[in-house]
Amino acid sequence: MTGTVFDIRRFSTHDGEGIRTTVFMKGCPLRCVWCHNPEGIDTRSRPLFFQDRCIGCGTCRRLAKEGGMRLVEGRLRLDVSKEEDWDGLIEACPAGAIVRDSRVMTAEQVAVEAMRDAPFYKYGGGVTFSGGEPLLQAGFVAEVLKELKRNGIHTAIETALHVPLEAVELTVPLLDQIYADLKLMDPAAHKRATGASNEQIKKNLEWLLRSPKRGAVTVRTPMIPGMTDSDDNIAEIARSISKIYPEVTYELLNHNPLAQAKYHLVDREYYRKEAPGRYSKEQMAHFAEVARENGVRDVRVG
Amino acid sequence: MALDDGTVDREGSERRRGMEQLVMTERIGILKERMLASPRYASIEQAKIITETYKANEDKPRIIQRALSLKAALEQMEIAVEPEELIVGNRTAGVRYGVVFPESGSSWVDREFETLPTRPQDRFQVRKEDIRYFREVIRPYWEGKSLEDVLRSRYGKEIDQIAKVVKINQKDHAQGHICPNCREWLAKGPAGLEKEARERMQAASGEKRAFYESIVLVMEGARAFMCRYSRRMAELAAEEKEETRRREMETVAANCKNIAERPPQTFHEAVQSIWFLFVILHMESNASSFSPGRMDRSLQDFYQADVAAGRLDAQGALEILECLWLKFNQIVYMRNAGSAKFFAGFPIGFNIAVGGQDEAGNDFVDELSFLFLKAQEHLGLPQPNLSVRIHENTGDDLLKAAIRVVAKGSGMPQFFNDKAVIPSMIGLGIDEKDARDYAIVGCVELTTQGDNLGWSDAAMFNLNKVLELTMNGGRCLLTGEKLAPDYGSLETYQSFEELEAAFARHLTDYIKKMVQACEEVEKVHIELLPTPFLSAVIDDCMEKGVDVTAGGAHYALSGIQMIQVANLADSLAAIKQLVFEEEKVDGARLLKALRQDFKGEEILRARLLNKVPKYGNDVDWVDGLGAKWAGYFREQLAGYVNHRGGRYHTGMYTVSAHVPMGENVGASPDGRHAGQPLADGGMSPVYGRDITGPTAVLRSVAKLDKSLTTNGGLLNMKFLPEFFSTEEGIDKFARFLRTFVDLEIPHIQFNVVRREDLLAAKADPERYRSLTVRVAGYTAYFTELAGELQDEIIARTSYGDI
Repeated sequence: MTGTVFDIRRFSTHDGEGIRTTVFMKGCPLRCVWCHNPEGIDTRSRPLFFQDRCIGCGTCRRLAKEGGMRLVEGRLRLDVSKEEDWDGLIEACPAGAIVRDSRVMTAEQVAVEAMRDAPFYKYGGGVTFSGGEPLLQAGFVAEVLKELKRNGIHTAIETALHVPLEAVELTVPLLDQIYADLKLMDPAAHKRATGASNEQIKKNLEWLLRSPKRGAVTVRTPMIPGMTDSDDNIAEIARSISKIYPEVTYELLNHNPLAQAKYHLVDREYYRKEAPGRYSKEQMAHFAEVARENGVRDVRVG
Repeated sequence: MALDDGTVDREGSERRRGMEQLVMTERIGILKERMLASPRYASIEQAKIITETYKANEDKPRIIQRALSLKAALEQMEIAVEPEELIVGNRTAGVRYGVVFPESGSSWVDREFETLPTRPQDRFQVRKEDIRYFREVIRPYWEGKSLEDVLRSRYGKEIDQIAKVVKINQKDHAQGHICPNCREWLAKGPAGLEKEARERMQAASGEKRAFYESIVLVMEGARAFMCRYSRRMAELAAEEKEETRRREMETVAANCKNIAERPPQTFHEAVQSIWFLFVILHMESNASSFSPGRMDRSLQDFYQADVAAGRLDAQGALEILECLWLKFNQIVYMRNAGSAKFFAGFPIGFNIAVGGQDEAGNDFVDELSFLFLKAQEHLGLPQPNLSVRIHENTGDDLLKAAIRVVAKGSGMPQFFNDKAVIPSMIGLGIDEKDARDYAIVGCVELTTQGDNLGWSDAAMFNLNKVLELTMNGGRCLLTGEKLAPDYGSLETYQSFEELEAAFARHLTDYIKKMVQACEEVEKVHIELLPTPFLSAVIDDCMEKGVDVTAGGAHYALSGIQMIQVANLADSLAAIKQLVFEEEKVDGARLLKALRQDFKGEEILRARLLNKVPKYGNDVDWVDGLGAKWAGYFREQLAGYVNHRGGRYHTGMYTVSAHVPMGENVGASPDGRHAGQPLADGGMSPVYGRDITGPTAVLRSVAKLDKSLTTNGGLLNMKFLPEFFSTEEGIDKFARFLRTFVDLEIPHIQFNVVRREDLLAAKADPERYRSLTVRVAGYTAYFTELAGELQDEIIARTSYGDI
């Protein structure tokens, strides 16, 4: 069985407990306008061009017969719509400026790579699956998880839960820590911001919060200016999840404006011309207070 | 370590709270400012005294001449004290003076005297009248007699012949990098050692008698030196009106007098005594790096006794220690301009080891260990070179206290791994008990304490130059000069194995020549630079009646540095993959490109840089090439015995030698341009090429067996300040170090990346490719971010809040 992985990043220190390796799975059913990893949205593998690595040797332009590598206003551009021998171009580029955005790997390959840092996991780290939406490739992820669990490795996932319940059921027993997003409570607002209804997400979340693994679940809401950061939204989410499971852990994530830099790589537009700054400590504390007032006892700010 | 009842945790956090309340006193601030404002001069004062003493004693044996000139210097050198000082003493009246030392080298001083104030590295002011006196009186007397001149006339040609590959050290100065027996010095003092030497002298004759007599002479000098400081401070105290201040000054005066007569009895006396020991060692040898070693152990009893008696508290002890810390910054070592490039920025190396295991293998830690860290945190100065020894049972409190100091950004403390060092030292033939009590001298050189002439900087061996000769038929790529036999070239090798076989032959040839040169250097040292004062504080010398240079020490090693395995692995990997496996690059074409420094071959260079994996990314076959050849080098060297009957062994550190040694190497198959620096550190990957993160670096480095670095290894890593900004970050860092211990890597040090680094990275992205910052949801390479974004991160970093 193979899966499409767009990055395996060692020494991840922000995606769970301890020192971790994060496996970024490609493809996402949501289209959040603020997406932090836009390169992970598309399920298909594609070539990327890194301008700053390019030494301007012209090799790619000679080889790209259909005009897939072209000078536009003096700058070299990669046009993914052209039918080129992309793997040939990648091989030929001496600077490594053209690369595939992802790798198709077997479950065993991913497990082996993810376990290279096993000596570090001994002190409380492990492997985290992220994306994209890792549960879009639930069968594959489950295969890798089984291999990791066989080796006694701590496992975690970051999911937005917009997947069939079976995908959740398949993987949850193999996970030690589950970070589940609920971005917006209002169905219409959710649809506007992410391109999808939140009905399935809420259903999956309810199942999770009633499952025996609920103690290992952290519900997360990213605070996005003008999108998810209203008191009403936080209050509604807080009420809803604490009603299902009063001991639920709820984490409010500070907005990170730096994602904007990645959009040009994948020919996407960021949702704002200028990314707004991060929330202050006080603002984050206020959001947490709103969540607390609405029934969640264990509120965290990240 | 957390125990079931949580006692230690509670103690740990109480200790932390206590430590947080300790302050740097006004006195320390005043002394620090004054010290940093002092100009740095070259001094010929001691050179005058030495020359006069030799002239008056020409018929005497060398060891007596040496003893008499040290004694004369101790009795006559101008001295100075500051009224605020709690610890006094220096080898010149001014601070940070560069001492001209004619016995070891005066030819280079003659050549370079005028350029000392303007040379690029390590400048000193000079006085015109000093230059004149030096040229008229000192230099003529030593012409042809100094270590430098004698060695040059006897073996200079051979040393020059191998100089492109091997840098032989200690050609114009005495051997340092020694850890004296501080515990014995504290237990006996100069009076006790003098008495012992006198008693042994009774029954001795000939050379042995002269040896003991020389110890008596230098100990008399040491006592006189201490008494002079006592009197000087007492005079100042008599003028002091303010009562508290006067009493403090009287204490300092009394301390100096007391320790001249008997062993120290208080913590304050003990610290003063330690400092005099190091001042006098420097006055005798003018060498680099005498290190105090495990001072938290040697001072522990004094500290505890004073605290128990109510004479001292942590704050008082800290102030005394901070006075000592300032003193460690007042002695610098003046080298010739060439050497200053290899050892830039006065790395004199008062290395102090904190924590670690005791002789029985149990964890050792004391409140003093924490006070040492606190002093470093307060002062942030280059000395002492503070090292924390860690192992599986090191407590979280010490580990985290050390990390908090690292976070301040001085690059200290550095960490040493007992789990790597102790077994590898035992493998070298060191007793287990002594190995467990190891310390560090200079930068990262490993030593046993008080019983070892480790000669740890015997030579630096440029592996990459040897690869160059292997690729180019024995010729230098930069000049075309024939340096070695033609065992083939990239034009002739039919397989990678053939190239490797030629490389092995060149290595073997050069190792042999290097060892012969080291031998000659040692012989001249024995003849010209016996060191009675040092011999008195190195185990076995006194018993045997043999000077330390002549093999008196219990352990007698010689250390050779391998420069640099990272570039070597990268170059070999590139040749292996592109020339012989994929056959994408013709060997002859590669050689031509290297000869032209890649001129017109930018595409080939890009391929070498980007299409072959590099050392430091946890790629087994590449890392394995480095480990293999470092192992071969070590094995070859292990077949030789040094002049004192001890073993040769290897280290992997460069100080700053990667720059001049890189200047010496033509373009290399790892994509490096001719003359560019080699990798920094010693075990570190080439900077910017470790793009798989810090855990991959540790895994790669761990593939270099610990036996390769018995003389010391150096791993340099850079982190952003953000990593240390939260308790969670510090906690993760502690876990990272726990795995570092498990992986049996001997050493690691951290540069916390500051704003300036980011600015440099923006200007010169190729060199900073591995610098990572947290973007959104994952970590990105800083140099791959858009310019504006880089600016934003730079702006944020100045507030330390990424």
